Amino acid sequence: MEYLDALKIKSTQINNMIEEKLIKDKELIIQNPHSMHNIATGLAIDGKVTIKGSTGFYTGGFLEGASVIVEGNAGWYAGDNMMDGELIITKNAGCNAGTYLYGGTIVIRGSAGSRVGYGMKGGTIIVCGSAGRWAGQMTLGGKLILLGKVGKQLGESMYKGVIYIQDEEAKNNLGGNVFIDKITPTEVDELNTLFKKYDIDAKGENFVAIRPMTTGRHTYVLFNPDLTPEKARKELGKNPKKLEKGVAYE
Amino acid sequence: MSNENLKNFEPKDIQRGIWNQETVSEIEYKARYGKHRIRGCGATRYMPTFDDIMILPSQLSRMSIDTYREPCETRVVLGKRFATKPLVIETPVMIAGMSYGALSKEAKIALAKATALTGTVISNGEGGLLPEERDYSYRQSIQVLPSRFGFSKRNIEAADMLEFLVGIGAKPGLSGHLMGNKISEEIAKLRQLPTGIDLHSHPRHGDAFGADDMVVKMEQLRSLTKGEVPIFIKIAAGRVKEDVKIAVKIGVDGIIIDGAQGGTGAAPVMASNHLGIPTMPALVQAVKALEEMGLKDDVSIIVSGGIKDGADIAKALAIGANAVAIGTGAMVAMGCKVCLKCHNGVCGFGIGTQDPDYRKKLDIDEAAERVANYIRAITNEAVLLAKAAGKSRLKNLEREDLRTLTLEACAMTGIPLVGSDYVFGQRFGFGE
Repeated sequence: MEYLDALKIKSTQINNMIEEKLIKDKELIIQNPHSMHNIATGLAIDGKVTIKGSTGFYTGGFLEGASVIVEGNAGWYAGDNMMDGELIITKNAGCNAGTYLYGGTIVIRGSAGSRVGYGMKGGTIIVCGSAGRWAGQMTLGGKLILLGKVGKQLGESMYKGVIYIQDEEAKNNLGGNVFIDKITPTEVDELNTLFKKYDIDAKGENFVAIRPMTTGRHTYVLFNPDLTPEKARKELGKNPKKLEKGVAYE
Repeated sequence: MSNENLKNFEPKDIQRGIWNQETVSEIEYKARYGKHRIRGCGATRYMPTFDDIMILPSQLSRMSIDTYREPCETRVVLGKRFATKPLVIETPVMIAGMSYGALSKEAKIALAKATALTGTVISNGEGGLLPEERDYSYRQSIQVLPSRFGFSKRNIEAADMLEFLVGIGAKPGLSGHLMGNKISEEIAKLRQLPTGIDLHSHPRHGDAFGADDMVVKMEQLRSLTKGEVPIFIKIAAGRVKEDVKIAVKIGVDGIIIDGAQGGTGAAPVMASNHLGIPTMPALVQAVKALEEMGLKDDVSIIVSGGIKDGADIAKALAIGANAVAIGTGAMVAMGCKVCLKCHNGVCGFGIGTQDPDYRKKLDIDEAAERVANYIRAITNEAVLLAKAAGKSRLKNLEREDLRTLTLEACAMTGIPLVGSDYVFGQRFGFGE
């Protein structure tokens, strides 16, 4: 077991030091991370790195192979562009966790901010708490598993991939170009294996899948609002002053 | 005169000002479909260009260099601010980022081969790196785009130069458009897309929302590239002065400025014609910004958008660019006739298409040779002008060697009007 006290280390130096320590021993504990940015960037050595405290931006970005555990909160963009390996965050993650994820697994034991799994292309993200708005936007592949409540515009303009949710109100929060589908038995097995592996209290059977529409054109907000004179006439009645409050546009 | 004769004099061929063929065609499209038109190639409107500038020849005040018998250095070093392995190219002309998807595989390979023949760099464009492109190119620039199609750590490892792309001149503030009829099986696989769907990528980087985050992102990219590879930021010309200063603060090695004349495979007509500012004034603003910061010698500038011949290169270099990027010019060298139909994937020259039959029409080696010839020729042209101006190095061209032909260009660039020492507007290094 190797130790690294990050208190007086700069974020530009720490990644080389982590690599050196991991070559010596497969296990490393980082103390006093003081919300440092860019910890474990592009780490391509097998091993286990435990960070005792919260981290800043881009924790485990481009990570490739190592297993990184953050015992605290992680800032924005945790696990961005991750290639392979494991990133486990024991508390909450900021916005854009797992953005452009390419492979590997991210487990967030708390909640995640907005845009978790933004443009992800592969791999798996599990959020045990709630996820903010725009989760899984423009997903191109991979699995996004959300155990808690979900925010608005879920899965907006997904092209491929799948989002699993158990929030029953999610049907009101769906983004464009996606639909709610039943979960297949194979997928249930996959989920249960994952839950067992990461010791998560959930059952695959309770989940539904959100999948991208694969037929026809994508529709966009650009083409809204539709000009709806009939609706406006009804809403405004004989009092055009209502317009000032923007009634017609809501 | 009889009524019969009068008919012959009716104004059939006269266009009424703005109600020209283009306007009528635009309105017909919108009346039919109820939405904006997307089309290839970029802006069609008139914009001020480098042609409004003249280069002063050397006479008695300085000696000229013999065009045919004396050497003139064209090699350029780009991105030496922080990168430990700056990019060295033999001519200040690079191939701009055009995606595999917008262009056919054959066209991409031809362009890559042309860089090997001339010793310059090619940018991969959106949608991943074609393995053949990397194999054949002399130097490879990798774009980091908001969509990240086909992007992974492997791409960064293959890069001789990184371009963190914020916007492109043909549709600044928007991002890649690739119409369904150009998404073939192979492209769908590389980009991880379903086939047949119209692709509209998103314009913001999911891993860098705003300039403050980009500072940290830059540190990450430096760490990934071990500080070796020069990192550029590509911006569409808009608020250039502010953008350049922010980019410098972010910590880039260089800036690529794409003017509003820049080309594209598909963009909304409104975006091409009405967003951004032209290349020439954008370059002036960028140079001014760097000079104000005292970093003109450290931060490289590559300028693109409407570069077509050696004079454009010479003038851009004289104003303060370190290199230029060509896109449409290289395509025309391959056989493109600028017919504005890139978006529909039916390109009879095998360039802007994914149709197997059309693609066969492009002979890769012939096209590569033609693009290489074009790059050689425009480099020669720039050298010819530089030597006539008395320079033994292309990069020694300076603003003092220029005069503007029109009041418009004069006011825009701060370079004196021909026949005078006057600048109408903000001065730009002349007698301040």
